[in-house]
Amino acid sequence: MTRFECMQAFARKLKNELVILSLGASVDEWYNAAPHMREASLFQQQLGCVTPQAFGLAVGLPHRRVVSLDTDGGMMFNLGIMATLANEQPKNLLVVIWDNQCYQSIGGPPTHTAGRVDLEKIARGAGIDCAFTARTLEQFDALCQRGLAADEPFIIVAKVDASSRRDVKRKHSDGREDKYVFVRHIEATEGIVIMGPSEHN
Amino acid sequence: MKQEAVDAVIAALKSAGVSVVCYLPDSLFKELYPALDADSDLRTIRVTNEGEGAAICGGLFLSGKRAVLVMENSGLRAAIEPLARMGMGAGIPVVMLMSYRGDFGENNWWAVPHAMTMEPLLQAMRVPYRVVDETKKINEAIAGAFSLSYASYYHSAVALTGNLVR
Repeated sequence: MTRFECMQAFARKLKNELVILSLGASVDEWYNAAPHMREASLFQQQLGCVTPQAFGLAVGLPHRRVVSLDTDGGMMFNLGIMATLANEQPKNLLVVIWDNQCYQSIGGPPTHTAGRVDLEKIARGAGIDCAFTARTLEQFDALCQRGLAADEPFIIVAKVDASSRRDVKRKHSDGREDKYVFVRHIEATEGIVIMGPSEHN
Repeated sequence: MKQEAVDAVIAALKSAGVSVVCYLPDSLFKELYPALDADSDLRTIRVTNEGEGAAICGGLFLSGKRAVLVMENSGLRAAIEPLARMGMGAGIPVVMLMSYRGDFGENNWWAVPHAMTMEPLLQAMRVPYRVVDETKKINEAIAGAFSLSYASYYHSAVALTGNLVR
């Protein structure tokens, strides 16, 4: 199962959702797998921040479905967010963890999930009842369907190959431009002002 | 922490439009946390570390809601990584309210490093901050922090010290 084919299958289910995603090759893959979601996706070059940020967004927009596309390395950078999600029980947050068992963007040294670590069990142990592992595209697709309709925190650990697509179009924007695009998209779709005008010109 | 300071902080947060408070509890703000929890206008989120709290506050900024990260000043050290990534890399601001452990009057050896690192770290991060030791200055500091962070799209911090927290 490749991350890109999972992304393509997942993207077909998305319309009004908001997505925050992690770093590395998954950035350009998501940019190409979900072109209709580019403005609705915040590309963040951060380990350990993605799911907490997505949770904050979900708290602020409780009527909107929020998706965190995190990674095994990113999630293990701050396992505490699993405990926070378990206690807070957001009804509108789906977390997908691309678990390729390696730090792919720096050449592929193993993460702890290449050893004995099981992120689904960690999530369940933290108190997240809806935590599942997908090993086939069919399993992943069915879990996404459930996760997008869930009314409790839902975590999918997607066991994907360590391969990545290098033949896709590169995203040219940096984190600052991405934030503006994302915020303007939320402002437009929510009818609110987040970053408004200065007092004087 | 004195009750009048607790009341002043909560009034200032509400006046600044804050609706969500992320916190990791500490001893100097001991009386503040249950008061925040009990306030029906504020949603509190307890976090496992201050970096996580900073990232949650960043996500709340993106939603259009105003949030604040409340912590001991030692939490700044734990939060530096996400603060650098969000603030410097993307322009996502976090407003912080922290207790100033290790300041004059400190009587715990373990708290001394908190003061030794707080202001140098804030300065290294180019985070504007105010150290406040009078109740009457709390509102101005918190209001100013939010005003500046929503113009700079960068972090700001208020540290409470002296009789406010002892």
